[in-house]
Amino acid sequence: MTLFNRDKPQSAPQQKAQNPAQTPREVPPQTQQAKSESAARVEVLPPLPVKPAIQPSTPSQTQTMNTRTGATMASVISKALKITGELESTEDIQIDGQIEGDVRGVGVKIGQNAKVKGTVYGDDVELAGTVEGKIEAKKVLISGTARMTGDIWHQDIKVESGAYINGSLKPELGKSDAKQAPKPATATTSSNVSSLTGTTGAPHH
Amino acid sequence: MLAMARRSPDQTPGPNIVRDEIEAPPSHLGPGTGIQGALEVDGELVVSGRVKGRIAALRLVIAATGSVEGDIIATDVVIHGQFNGRIFAPTVAIEAGAEVDGRIFHTNVSVARGARVSGRMPWRPLSYFETLDKLPEARP
Repeated sequence: MTLFNRDKPQSAPQQKAQNPAQTPREVPPQTQQAKSESAARVEVLPPLPVKPAIQPSTPSQTQTMNTRTGATMASVISKALKITGELESTEDIQIDGQIEGDVRGVGVKIGQNAKVKGTVYGDDVELAGTVEGKIEAKKVLISGTARMTGDIWHQDIKVESGAYINGSLKPELGKSDAKQAPKPATATTSSNVSSLTGTTGAPHH
Repeated sequence: MLAMARRSPDQTPGPNIVRDEIEAPPSHLGPGTGIQGALEVDGELVVSGRVKGRIAALRLVIAATGSVEGDIIATDVVIHGQFNGRIFAPTVAIEAGAEVDGRIFHTNVSVARGARVSGRMPWRPLSYFETLDKLPEARP
């Protein structure tokens, strides 16, 4: 059940901060966590750099459930589950069922047959199902099967073709926060511009 | 029970009949997850986090790190963690290390050595659980 592949690099500044914590994969988790915590102190984004220490590097093998010890993977709301109320998590959540109420998580994946009535808060929200309400997340991915009724507050969004969105997209999420100002998109465009000026400046090439 | 066994002759009937009815993968609430409200599962639910409210499930497992406060209506309940409230279930297993407080309406209960149980455990016939949703005492 490789539900959350969160090891992928998300942006340039985060990667820089994660590198010291990620490279020594063999070190015991305690020192790794300590290292990533020191990385978190350096980096302005607190929750993301700590992530690799919490998440096992090989999810499919380590994420088998052990109900006795409770050493388990992130939360799964299966399609047979219906929740009326508030769900809060410091981990990733996979939702395939129905939720009437607010959802707070780190990485929230809303499956194709899932339905959420309420606000979805998270760092990273992937929507393939139905949401009636609001999404507030740093990074949002709307798949082609998604049905979104309501506003999406985000910093970074991707919408695939086929998605139904009835509401407005608001990129102002956390804009008052000076921490979130440097974004990878601006970095790539500026580099493109510089390369363009470089080619026009040197016609011999 | 017999009818259920006849319905699926190709499957080896497990010791727990309830298991055969579950087709969806079990829902799981991780240790960092908390829910306040009502949960309704047509299948199995494993709670490693915290739940405050009412749970209706076929099979409910409260893992060692899990804690539930409120009413539980299920056919099969296994507790490794903490529970405070009422349980309405024909089969209840309280495992070692569990901390249970409240009332457990049951037909069949087992308590492992090392469990901490306080409260009452009234026995009820199986027929009691069939009409459970109509009983005033099981209402939220």
